[in-house]
Amino acid sequence: MIPITTELAGIAARVRAATVQVQGRRRGTWGSGVLWRPGVVVTNAHVVTGRSARVETADGTVHDARLLATDEGQDLALLAVSTELPPPALARDEPRVGALVVAVGNPLGLSGAVTAGIVHGRLTPRRGPPIILADLQLLPGNSGGPLADVLGRVVGVNTMMVRGLAAAIPCEVVERFVERAA
Amino acid sequence: MPASASRKTGLEQLSDDLAAAVERAAQTVVAVNGRPRIAASGVLWRAGVVVTAHHTLRREEDLTVTLADNRTVPATVAGRDGATDLAVLKLDAPGSAEFADGAVKVGHLVLQVGRTGSAGHSASLGLVGAIVGPWRTWRGGEIESLIQLDLAIHDGFSGSPLIDTSGKVVGLNTSGLGRGVALALPVPVVNRVVDGLLAKGRIARGYLGVGLQAVEVPAALAAKFAPPARSGLIALTVDADGPAGRAGLQLGDVIVTVAGQPVADVRDLFALLGPERVGATVVLTGLRGGAPLELKVTVGERPTQ
Repeated sequence: MIPITTELAGIAARVRAATVQVQGRRRGTWGSGVLWRPGVVVTNAHVVTGRSARVETADGTVHDARLLATDEGQDLALLAVSTELPPPALARDEPRVGALVVAVGNPLGLSGAVTAGIVHGRLTPRRGPPIILADLQLLPGNSGGPLADVLGRVVGVNTMMVRGLAAAIPCEVVERFVERAA
Repeated sequence: MPASASRKTGLEQLSDDLAAAVERAAQTVVAVNGRPRIAASGVLWRAGVVVTAHHTLRREEDLTVTLADNRTVPATVAGRDGATDLAVLKLDAPGSAEFADGAVKVGHLVLQVGRTGSAGHSASLGLVGAIVGPWRTWRGGEIESLIQLDLAIHDGFSGSPLIDTSGKVVGLNTSGLGRGVALALPVPVVNRVVDGLLAKGRIARGYLGVGLQAVEVPAALAAKFAPPARSGLIALTVDADGPAGRAGLQLGDVIVTVAGQPVADVRDLFALLGPERVGATVVLTGLRGGAPLELKVTVGERPTQ
């Protein structure tokens, strides 16, 4: 049997391959993104400030990405990136409370940093879509990056910290946004 | 790696086990609606009995408890103990928690399972950081042992159970004892306090009605005591109507022994004022203006906080 830590490193590597670094046109705005479909990257609306962004994919290539759509209310943005890299698998079901998850992103300029924790719960605000809360620490620059399960399937898009917990937009909400925009 | 339907990876198995442990424990985790805004968590500890954290309970009237099936039922306070930060409620609800057989060890993986409303349960993962004790809380409670946690107690998680990776309860979480440090009271400690609260509604503690601070006893005076006393407790405040005040203790008196035991620290005194002392008469010896002092005091009962 493969040791759990080796397994975790393997999953992190696969999630990293689908994670990108996003730099807005204005200086100092940068974050993460996740390749959602071939040539299409999802990130947070608050990461992208103009009509385009500089995107660095996991293979080190830098792209001039065009903004396809934004939804400020849901804090989601869609970018067109000319890359051959394959998108990751998406989780079909909502993750269970207590399940292990990993967040990948570029906090504080570190490329492809990994954080692990468990699903804390689900929050349904009075207005807006539901969010997944995870018991792990997100830092500036993590925004827009993927939250994935132990099989490397994306379960959500990391957005911010809420009362000491990581908040992520669930996969199905992102999928609906991508459907509408694409 | 593509998920094969038959064999799970080690990490997948661990993840499933943790989620299953949380779901199992969540059946007896309740939300206690006893304060404005966010509810606190509680555990169905025994049949019809919920244990929660004392400090989260801001009112005793109109108390309700939200159960795992989202039903909300009325509850009454059976007793509360500020010194150990525990409160016991009675209600009409089925089920009771499953408890782990052995004690947890430093380094064990543990989870907290909370319920802070009708939106289902939530969970956090961490480690047993240390096991300390016996420990006297800042409010004078005696706790045999205490679990220090390497995890954060989130809003509404005081009063939630600490569980092991099989879903069995090993303790009760509270942020109210360690002034921000995440702590859990082990099951035997909670059981002892729950027994006392169900029987009497409170945990009686001895009370003298004085404010004390440890001071050094000058060498020339130390020899007046056998064994010689290096330090004692000086009276900084005296409640004239309190047990010691009525017995004649005055401001500035230094207490050196209580019931024949040296008291070098306030904690030494707390240890001598357990429930069994309430109503008993003890001899205090000490110094007043350098002269020996001896007083007989009938120990009172500490007012509830």
